[in-house]
Amino acid sequence: MSEIDRSLIGTSAPPFVVEVERGAIRKFADAIGDGNPLYRDAAFARRHGYEGIVAPPTFPTCFRAPADPPWIAALDRRRIVAGEMGFHYHRPIVAGMRFECRLQLVGVDEKTGARGAMSLLRQVMSGYLLGDDGVAQECVFTVRRTTVYRSAQQVASRSLA
Amino acid sequence: MNGMHLLQARVGDTFALSIPAVTTTQLVRYAGASDDYNRIHYDHAYAQEAGLGGVIAHGMLTMGFMGRAVSDWAGPAAAIVDIEARFNAPVRPGDVVMVVGTVADCAPGSDGRRRLRCEIVARVGEKTVASGAAVVAAPRTH
Repeated sequence: MSEIDRSLIGTSAPPFVVEVERGAIRKFADAIGDGNPLYRDAAFARRHGYEGIVAPPTFPTCFRAPADPPWIAALDRRRIVAGEMGFHYHRPIVAGMRFECRLQLVGVDEKTGARGAMSLLRQVMSGYLLGDDGVAQECVFTVRRTTVYRSAQQVASRSLA
Repeated sequence: MNGMHLLQARVGDTFALSIPAVTTTQLVRYAGASDDYNRIHYDHAYAQEAGLGGVIAHGMLTMGFMGRAVSDWAGPAAAIVDIEARFNAPVRPGDVVMVVGTVADCAPGSDGRRRLRCEIVARVGEKTVASGAAVVAAPRTH
């Protein structure tokens, strides 16, 4: 019996806008201990064929809606762990870009593993470049995320301890 | 690292990156930088209560290390067009993560840039904490 509201499968969260700031890129690169000049030095990035300061490949993990999507909001945060993540780029993300992000719940799988029962929430977020006129243009990136929702028993049995 | 090494790379080539031990401070920093404030990553009592035996690193921090390994190897003129990971086991403060990549496939891309697919694994000691793959577009040949 799933604790996830399956009627939400196929639905989308309200789209939200993010702006890629160079300071946010630098802080993110610092946090993962990555000193790559592509993430800090616009002239260096341009010499290597980019339009400006580049974002690290996992950077869109920071692109969060102002509120949790409906399929996450009702969950117990202590039971959420990362399952899988995938980032696909049609072109690189560079500082100054603005995106309209569209997030959808594409599926929910129930799984019983060595650590007990869990629900896997499969979500896809696509980022559409916004022009100066605020109109969404091409899709620049797609993020596939599988969130693992552990059963209450798993938390009680300290399955990950 | 002008990326020309990617034009000669062959299936079976490997690269590796060893990451200094993860610290609790780093987890707090990553929480701020990535806007992910789930308390299992910095609140010991809460993480205990969640059955995790103490705070664990964000899976995405480990994936950040995997991205670093790939971009360090590929060089600034290459582009990472795809990177994916599955999280197998938690990483904890004090753990030393080692990322190893192996070239699994090379093919010409439709845009004229050679594509290299690498399998990537992140380990703490003998334990695999995350595994995945990345696709890198080599620099254009003029």
